[in-house]
Amino acid sequence: MYKFRVAVKKEFLILLSDKTGLALMFLMPLLLVYIITIIQDSAFKMANQSSMALLVINQDEGEQSQHLIRLLEQSQLFELTQDSTIAKDAISTTLYEQEYLTAVYFPPNFSEQLKQKANLLSGTLLAEVGMNEGSPALQTIATPTLEYYHDPVLQESYSISIMNMIDAYIKTVEGELLINEMCQQLELTEAPAKLREAMANNQVGVKKIAATLNSKSLQPNSTQHNVPAWTIFAMFFMVTSLGNSIVKERLNGSFVRLKTMPTSFVLVLGAKLFVYLVAAVLQVLLIFTLARFTFESIGLPPLTFPSDGFAFAVVVLMNGLAAVSYATVVGTVARTREQASGFGAVSIVILAALGGIWIPSFVLPEFLQLISYGSPLYWCLEGFYTLFLRGGDWQILLPTLAGLAVFIVACWAITYWQLKRDKVF
Amino acid sequence: MSILPCIEIQSLTKRYSTATVDTLQGIDLTINQGDKFGILGPNGAGKTTLISILCGILEPSEGAVHYSQHQEALPTNSIGFVPQEYSFFEELNPMQNLEYFGAMYGLTAKVIKERTQSILTVLGLGDVQTKKINTFSGGMKRRVNLAIGIIHQPSILFLDEPTVGVDVQSKVAILKFLNQLNTTGTTIIYTSHHLDEAQEFCNQIALIDQGKIIIKGATEDLLTNHSAKDLKELFIQFTGEAYRD
Repeated sequence: MYKFRVAVKKEFLILLSDKTGLALMFLMPLLLVYIITIIQDSAFKMANQSSMALLVINQDEGEQSQHLIRLLEQSQLFELTQDSTIAKDAISTTLYEQEYLTAVYFPPNFSEQLKQKANLLSGTLLAEVGMNEGSPALQTIATPTLEYYHDPVLQESYSISIMNMIDAYIKTVEGELLINEMCQQLELTEAPAKLREAMANNQVGVKKIAATLNSKSLQPNSTQHNVPAWTIFAMFFMVTSLGNSIVKERLNGSFVRLKTMPTSFVLVLGAKLFVYLVAAVLQVLLIFTLARFTFESIGLPPLTFPSDGFAFAVVVLMNGLAAVSYATVVGTVARTREQASGFGAVSIVILAALGGIWIPSFVLPEFLQLISYGSPLYWCLEGFYTLFLRGGDWQILLPTLAGLAVFIVACWAITYWQLKRDKVF
Repeated sequence: MSILPCIEIQSLTKRYSTATVDTLQGIDLTINQGDKFGILGPNGAGKTTLISILCGILEPSEGAVHYSQHQEALPTNSIGFVPQEYSFFEELNPMQNLEYFGAMYGLTAKVIKERTQSILTVLGLGDVQTKKINTFSGGMKRRVNLAIGIIHQPSILFLDEPTVGVDVQSKVAILKFLNQLNTTGTTIIYTSHHLDEAQEFCNQIALIDQGKIIIKGATEDLLTNHSAKDLKELFIQFTGEAYRD
């Protein structure tokens, strides 16, 4: 026990002496978690909560374009600026010069074309139900088209979101127009107002419910998503510190020197893993605690801890063990410190991308989703998400923990094999 | 006083998996207790391989090594090894290094504390025992390397180029300390490129070239028998002047 205690002390002192390594291990991840969460939260708010600036160029003189613009304004989802003097071919330049991100262009005959379309549809419909004499002759009408302009730097998902919202309001205008046309053809003068009211009051709502697995109200938000994800990334980034430490000790001959001593190398390596595992757990505690108690003061949702504290502790330990085991493999296999740092860092970025740290792994192509099962970060993230987002229990955690256990054992097997090859064991 | 064999090496052969020729080819050697034994030879002769096998770092391909005074095949408690590299932790101070390696040798905290002070003082490191080694000169680092190898008071001490790259003062201090250690009964086996230093320090030498022992015996006897004025002349006589890079 004395040997192990001294070995742990030595690792601890070496870790403490590396100020840059400590900063990389504790301060940089903290910075990363704060910045990424703020960015993601802002993006979420931008897409869902705040009004989006929209330049409106209306060259239509009819009522329907005005009606649509009114609806867009009333929705409070958009902050509209109208300027109908801009020529169509100058819209792109205006967007660039006046720093608008989005614009919508109403062509000159927009209302007329929309009305023609409604007329055709209502006529056809009434003829089909036998309420109109004869079927209107099949005719081709020009389909009204709005043009949506966007800054090329704007993310595709953001653009699609805006287009979907505009489309939803066009459908409302079209619906009202269709009813108006039908009533006119049926010579009804009062009904449209009642119908409009009925339509407005009987819209089907969609209620958003997070499918959590326990009664505790876990609210999925940018904090619950990002803090666990980027903490895992930080834990695995200790590959640069631990990997380097192993390479350094092998190259300076201290591993070989230990072979001439009555000490098992397992004890020496065990002490190293223990100290770095403690460091990984401290990373989690530090980041999670700050996310719980400081996020609110900077306008972010505070981190909600899982209700099952024991399961949380087990997941943290398994994630930490996976991180230090991976770092040990890299340190053992790498021949130089440059290899350990370079390969270690790049491999973590790749494994993070595959593991769903940046974007959820379910959006990856099918073959990459299969490959993602090989990323330890995938299993680590699954463990945290099961607790932080889904409110899952042991039954759901077990496959995740089994996946991590397989990875850890595989790392130890490779480490043993490589050290045996290097004649350290 | 009878001379007792300390290490007996029989038909020792070593072939590395990537090599086409044997690095050591049937080495037979006896090192007696209390010897200051120099293993000399040009670059690539097999000196470090031989010393690594004697310390248990490498396994021989064929042959055997017997430690006559010991029951174990490799008496790790009784051997000390001072490698050519600075095989310690430069982020720590000498005391912390000695505490670590002392514990790995199986010493208790009390024994380590007692010995650390005296060893560091003798080696001229008493004043810097709490300073980080990465601020030390090459000579000071060599002395720390040596201190680690003797913290457990080994009866056999292996040194691989213990004075390479150090100033004259450190070299003198190291050799003086090794001579003192030898007078207490420690058998010293060392390799070096410094032939004048080896001639002064060793009472026995073995000259190795291309994995074979070319000559071995008492230093004075070898010089006399081969009419060489010093080890350098003897060395050139047996290994030639061609480069061995």
